[in-house]
Amino acid sequence: MTMEEMRIETETNSMVSMTLYAVMYPVFNEVMCAERENPGLTQDIIMKILEKKNVQINYTESLLRMAADDVEEFLVDRPEQEFQDLNDKARALKNILSKIPDEINDRVRFLQTIKDIASAIKELLDTVNNVFKKYQYQNRRALEHQKKEFVKYSKSFSDTLKTYFKDGKAINVFISANRLIHQTNLILQTFKTVI
Amino acid sequence: MEICIVSPFKRVFLKGEKGRDKKAQEKTTERRALHTFSLSLPDHRIDPDILLNDYIEKEVKYLGQLTSVPGYLNPSSRTEVLQLIDNARKSHQLAGQLTSEQDAVVSLSAYNVKLVWRDGEDIILRVPIHDIAAVSYIRDDSLHLVVLKTAQEAGVSPCPSTCPDLSKSMTLGSLSESGAVLVEVCCLLVLAVDNKAAAEELCLLLSQVFQIVYTESTIDFLDRAIFDGATTPTRHLSLYSDDSSSKVDVKEAFEAEASTFSFQGSLEAGDNSPSPSSTPASPQTKTASEGELSTTATELLQDYMTTLRTKLSSHEIQQFATLLHEYRNGASIHEFCINLRQLYGDSRKFLLLGLRPFIPEKDSQHFENFLETIGVKDGRGIITDSFGRYRRTASSASDSTTNGNGAVRGDGDVGGSDERLAPSEGDEWDRMISDISNDIEALGVSMDQEGVTP
Repeated sequence: MTMEEMRIETETNSMVSMTLYAVMYPVFNEVMCAERENPGLTQDIIMKILEKKNVQINYTESLLRMAADDVEEFLVDRPEQEFQDLNDKARALKNILSKIPDEINDRVRFLQTIKDIASAIKELLDTVNNVFKKYQYQNRRALEHQKKEFVKYSKSFSDTLKTYFKDGKAINVFISANRLIHQTNLILQTFKTVI
Repeated sequence: MEICIVSPFKRVFLKGEKGRDKKAQEKTTERRALHTFSLSLPDHRIDPDILLNDYIEKEVKYLGQLTSVPGYLNPSSRTEVLQLIDNARKSHQLAGQLTSEQDAVVSLSAYNVKLVWRDGEDIILRVPIHDIAAVSYIRDDSLHLVVLKTAQEAGVSPCPSTCPDLSKSMTLGSLSESGAVLVEVCCLLVLAVDNKAAAEELCLLLSQVFQIVYTESTIDFLDRAIFDGATTPTRHLSLYSDDSSSKVDVKEAFEAEASTFSFQGSLEAGDNSPSPSSTPASPQTKTASEGELSTTATELLQDYMTTLRTKLSSHEIQQFATLLHEYRNGASIHEFCINLRQLYGDSRKFLLLGLRPFIPEKDSQHFENFLETIGVKDGRGIITDSFGRYRRTASSASDSTTNGNGAVRGDGDVGGSDERLAPSEGDEWDRMISDISNDIEALGVSMDQEGVTP
């Protein structure tokens, strides 16, 4: 038996991973249920843990950096090209937004990032419009409402940037970017639910 | 005994010199105080509002302006720039000796750099900010030069065969019909200041101007991208339907505030900007057509008229109304587009996008093609650099390669090939456009009556 085979056998037969699915998965499920009932609960838990451990990080900034990752719950699992485009454009927008903390202190680079964000917003909206045109849904109102919310938060993001260039408070940009990412996820979630 | 003979000519000369010195002194004392502000050190920060709503003056010496300079000149290269300046001074294109005759005042704002003579205040030249490509500071012994590389109107010039950098120009230029190599050209505006501190101050002020201008332009670009994405119709404007599934997708959540679109109103429109301070009056849409238009179409109309009010002066609104009227009375869509483009200029050409829902089916293809040729289709070409170019970058953070042009445009937008207006709907369009024309004319008149000054 080779070392590799021994390693695989150990992993397969090891009991240690049982803790993950026997203990943690139920905990995750409970947390998800609790979050649905009490929005913001998870954030409170995380904040308390950080406080207890005396971890000095900017939570909003960290959240923004991590927010670009794909979340299964927010991916439209339809094979048609339009829906794949929707996933791609949403991912692209979230990616650029998550880079804001790295770019915000260099004006030239930050302006370029804003241009990229503008293009990404436009492309996402174009893709949403494309899906609207091609597919007629019963529950179109929900989709249109979500699109309008996204536009509203995009506008709010723009206003936040204008204020930032006057007062220099980056934290507000991070908060607004997080909100826009959340709205992006909600668009995907709505499409996933409705279609 | 020493006899001191003073040449009569010397006496006259000296008397003349003294006279000129006296006059120069008198001039200095007569000169007005400059319009200036104290700047925060060490980076000479100035309140952006001063550059936006006011101006700042600095004293300089104006050596001259070199034209038809090859555009590939590297403004960071001391050697290249000084070589040009030395040659120009030898050939008397630039002032050699610096005297009070070169005294000038540079007036700086977010709109332009203006140069006037110190005495007499005659204007020498004015350079819009978007025409400035680079600013360099070169210290040449005791001379402190500030050189502005700016666009030249002609843009392209034949490169003479004696041009030392002919090989460069051959790779970068193109052949004219006569076979001469054409190269992009620019101008060099050459100023001198008293010392290094003054030079650095001027450079930092210009840097702040660039920051303001390009920051606001970038935000404007973001706003327009959101606006365009939000207002893209999912179907052709429905005139009769009350079916929610066929309603035009509108930007109800996108408030058409004056501040949303304008860069303080005045920057984009230059000196003719309308003041956005007054509250826009409610547009008077005609009731006969309103009942038949869907709510969202009416909202689009109102939004567009509100936008016009924030972007155009009253005179320009009336011009717009005239053009619209001519178009509705038989002028071609081509003429309409060209005239509108001329009216809006480069900085406001994005306003053409807002007309999209109102162009009748028969002309929509031409209109879409026109938008593409002037680079406003899908938001492209709205923001420009100092040479009027913008390229959407293939940012490493973005997966996008092209914008929605291929995906969306022309596939079913307003005027798309798969949706045609019925003849009765075409009449409805005619009436709607006439209504817009009348309303806009009324808007222009009402703005005049309110005494709103552009």
